[in-house]
Amino acid sequence: MEAINRQSKAKEIGKKALGIFTIPLLVIAAVLIVCLSSGQMILTTDVSFYGFTRYTAVVFLTTIALSINLSSGRFDFSIGSLSTLSSVIAAKITYAMLSGSGASAPVMLLISIIVGAALGALSGTLYVALKLPPIITSLGVTLIFEGIIYMISGGRYITTETSNSSMVFFRENWWIHLIIIALALGIIYLVFDRSKFGFNYKALRAGQNISVNTGIKEIPNAIICYAICGALMGTVGFLQVLPGNQIATSVLNFGSIGIMFVAFLPMFIGGYIGKYTNDKIGYLIAAICISLLSSMFALFNAKTITASVQSIVTAVLLVGFLIFLNNEQTCKDLVNGTLIKRLIKQYKEKKNRGESDDKPQE
Amino acid sequence: MKISKFTKGVAAIALVGASIALAACGGAKQTVKVGVLVADASGEEALGFKNYLQRYVAKEYNYEFVYSPAIASAEQAKSQAETFIGQNCKAIIDMADKNRGDLAKLCNDSKVYFAIGSGMMSDGDFAASKKLDYFVGQIGPDMQTEYETGLAMGKYYKEVKNVDNIGVYGAFIPNPMHLYRMAGLLTGLDDTYKGQSGQNIVFTVFGDDAQFDAANIAGDVEIDYCAGFDGEGAIFGTVGGIIAKGPDAFLSVGMTTTFFADMLDEAHVEYSDIDSFTTQNGNHMKTGSLKYLSGKYSSSLGPIFAAIKSAIDGKAIRNNGEAFSLSQGYWTAKSSAEFEKFQSADSVNNPIFNKTLLDTLVGASFDTFKAAVELDRTPQ
Amino acid sequence: MEQVVENKKSGFDKYKIKKLIITLLPLLALILLFVAYIVILNINDYNVMMNLKTLLNQSLILVLVATGAIFIFTLGQFDISLGANALFSAVVGTLAYKATGSIALLFIVCIAVAVACSLLNALIASVFHLPMFVTTIAMLSVLTALATFLIQSKGSASGTSYSITLPAELVDKLAPLDTVAFKIVLLIVFMALMVFIFNFTKIGRKQKFLGGNERCAKLTGISISLFGIIAFALAGLGVGLGSSMTVVYAHTVSTTTASSIGMSVFIAIVFGGMPINGGARSRIYSALIGGFSYNIMTNILFILFQSMQGVRDGLVQVISGVFFLVIVFVASINYRSKNLPR
Repeated sequence: MEAINRQSKAKEIGKKALGIFTIPLLVIAAVLIVCLSSGQMILTTDVSFYGFTRYTAVVFLTTIALSINLSSGRFDFSIGSLSTLSSVIAAKITYAMLSGSGASAPVMLLISIIVGAALGALSGTLYVALKLPPIITSLGVTLIFEGIIYMISGGRYITTETSNSSMVFFRENWWIHLIIIALALGIIYLVFDRSKFGFNYKALRAGQNISVNTGIKEIPNAIICYAICGALMGTVGFLQVLPGNQIATSVLNFGSIGIMFVAFLPMFIGGYIGKYTNDKIGYLIAAICISLLSSMFALFNAKTITASVQSIVTAVLLVGFLIFLNNEQTCKDLVNGTLIKRLIKQYKEKKNRGESDDKPQE
Repeated sequence: MKISKFTKGVAAIALVGASIALAACGGAKQTVKVGVLVADASGEEALGFKNYLQRYVAKEYNYEFVYSPAIASAEQAKSQAETFIGQNCKAIIDMADKNRGDLAKLCNDSKVYFAIGSGMMSDGDFAASKKLDYFVGQIGPDMQTEYETGLAMGKYYKEVKNVDNIGVYGAFIPNPMHLYRMAGLLTGLDDTYKGQSGQNIVFTVFGDDAQFDAANIAGDVEIDYCAGFDGEGAIFGTVGGIIAKGPDAFLSVGMTTTFFADMLDEAHVEYSDIDSFTTQNGNHMKTGSLKYLSGKYSSSLGPIFAAIKSAIDGKAIRNNGEAFSLSQGYWTAKSSAEFEKFQSADSVNNPIFNKTLLDTLVGASFDTFKAAVELDRTPQ
Repeated sequence: MEQVVENKKSGFDKYKIKKLIITLLPLLALILLFVAYIVILNINDYNVMMNLKTLLNQSLILVLVATGAIFIFTLGQFDISLGANALFSAVVGTLAYKATGSIALLFIVCIAVAVACSLLNALIASVFHLPMFVTTIAMLSVLTALATFLIQSKGSASGTSYSITLPAELVDKLAPLDTVAFKIVLLIVFMALMVFIFNFTKIGRKQKFLGGNERCAKLTGISISLFGIIAFALAGLGVGLGSSMTVVYAHTVSTTTASSIGMSVFIAIVFGGMPINGGARSRIYSALIGGFSYNIMTNILFILFQSMQGVRDGLVQVISGVFFLVIVFVASINYRSKNLPR
């Protein structure tokens, strides 16, 4: 009996390990194959390594921010504009206080997080006050935030406020990016998986009507979700300043929504990995995979792998992965060689029942 | 009294609408209106031109310069030009470079003067447009000037600075302006591209479907090359990698002071650029590593304004009955002192093309106008 | 008793009137904005006809694309790749026109490519059971990348981007189509066709049913896949017409052509009173009303804030965003759920 228990436990662990590590191992294998065949290797210099850690942090935080609201049915276009606005305000305030000296970078990071949380809460408050579909509210909020960014900066690059040795220190020390990742992971895990707020959040996500009827306060929960989103995107806004020590502020007419699309693929990958472990860890693993791919693309010059080719590769990976996710059983049967048998069986059953061929779209 | 949400909502809309209606009752100004099309309303060079036009010329001549939002496409440019025409602009200055031939024709059909400031149309477009009555002309660095600017930079670093290995930023090659500068730069450094030098480099690149491959560069000076800007961070990594190798200098045909100045200052790598004489660039020259800057001065837009005013006043300046095409060169500063001299020589309050000089150009003959535009006004 | 009946009657009428006003609010807003626009133009002594022509040019392409997209939104779906589709079909259409000089081919190719790309979205999502919105996000990247590749390989560098420009003789051939008369006729014919399909055929009725209650619709035998495909095909028609008119208007395509269409479609249809979840309350004319309203509003704001050029562009967008939220809030005031909407 014990042996059987041990066996099934081992099987379970094996299944989990397979689920967690298959995708990252595949990505690493693909990157190695491409790099070795071209005679180049990623992450061999300091510059490339801290670029990798920074981008991992950006993708990870954006993915969590997007998923917090999206998994509750709240699509939010405004996260990009929120991140830029947070960093712009933080840069201005920090420069006014410290004139670019001393601990400008950590101060700017802290202010960016606080401002981001406030802007997120504002966005959430608008959503609950207007009671419009969140996608519509986010359209209006994006227009407003982008407009404010332009009014503050006049559309110019913000450089004076962000050019200082403190920012360079934050850019060039990869352990700072890792600390940010670790802190975010820890806090988000505690808030969403180990607190009453998190349990309420999950209940509302699973069944809105029932949860509200049992007394869960949906409105404060939603506003806090938006605020947490805002804090995460405030951090992203700061991290986006680091490469060039500047903030590009000419983002009118929905110029800021691009960052959102970066997070879709890692969100789905992370969701899949999260079935075998915690979803936040899944997002982190996915972010590392995306960052590895990005580092690989950066190795090749613009002639070999243009930005367009990179976009296509990312899009194909997204669709391919979604096809796998939504047709997991079919894929498994294909691998096992039982697909045709199953399809014939299904066809016969349907014929007997006389049912329509349509499957509802998800 | 309880007011319903509906009533509140309608009241809100009515209130805002009424405010707007009241605000609209400002009446029309009695100034001559000129529309300005820009692709980038916020870059340092664009802001310099804007300051000159709006804070100096507008006051001196009772003109109003209305700027477009940043124009990203040809249809936006055309739509904005139509908007200017509808707002009774007497002329349009284009600095957006979106299908200029089309815009010239549109303005001509609408009897609105059209001019190109600080740039040029393609040769084909100019040939097709120069006979249009309402196309005033174009003033800007022509491709020969762009080539010579790059050539001067290359020669300086080869002969004076004796560089052996450098980083080079190609900006937005194969944009013709940047490509001609690059051809000059490589030639000045005594390097070749696919065995070619001089402007043959440009023709070679265009012969290759406009693909510039740094692997084809050969010569004594070793070059680590990159170009483009993706806004995502990858280019910063590439430039960072070049800087990390410790080149003798980092030469650029454009945009480096916008994107990479801080990285280069921080690494104490000497760099050059073709940009404009702004306070920001002055700081980079004074305290940073920017050591060579070629740029346009803000009041270089003065002559095109004078040409527009001449046309509006009925004394159009024509080159044998056709629109003119004149070249204006760059100033080059190789030290902070030189930079400051240039900056103070052309300020908003005291521009090179001031009212006194502009008045001599309004209604002048073409030869006088040409001589004034092409005169080297580098401060000594 | 009579008093009670009378009270009930007047109460009923008040409710009906209020409902009518809310339903007509987008149209009323358009009329109000239009009147305000004319007044402001006259006060400033601007050329009214020229400004109206500009308004038509600004709105036509958006209205064509957004009206076709209504069929998708009626099903409760989204398509964020409309702008990329318009760009790609415009590029292919331009290349076809450059090669043959045939205006008919320009339109046919633009429409065919747009419909094909739209159908590809629908087919991929349908066959592989994918979330439609995410499929369109992937398609956005692919179409943009393909269009960029074509423009870079077949076009020439201009400024900081590439473009494919039509030669003068081909531009002249397009002149009769780049007129107010043709555009108005095109708009009327297209709107008439769309209104007919949406309001007077089974296609429209069934799509509203699907958008309102998919489960019930399926149980009555309505094929979700089939009507999804039809919706995307009709959207492709709108995109194809929009992209061909872009070429007719601008005579050049670059990587930034139709860049703002994707999100502007959302704004236009919601501003025009379309419920974002689709269903029975969907209106085919929402895009027409919303597209023109939004452009009139931004034009008014640009005139009013012309003197504040340092912050004008940002200020206009902030006010547009606020107005957008207010209008949509008032228009949907009768349709509030107890819980927060999702």
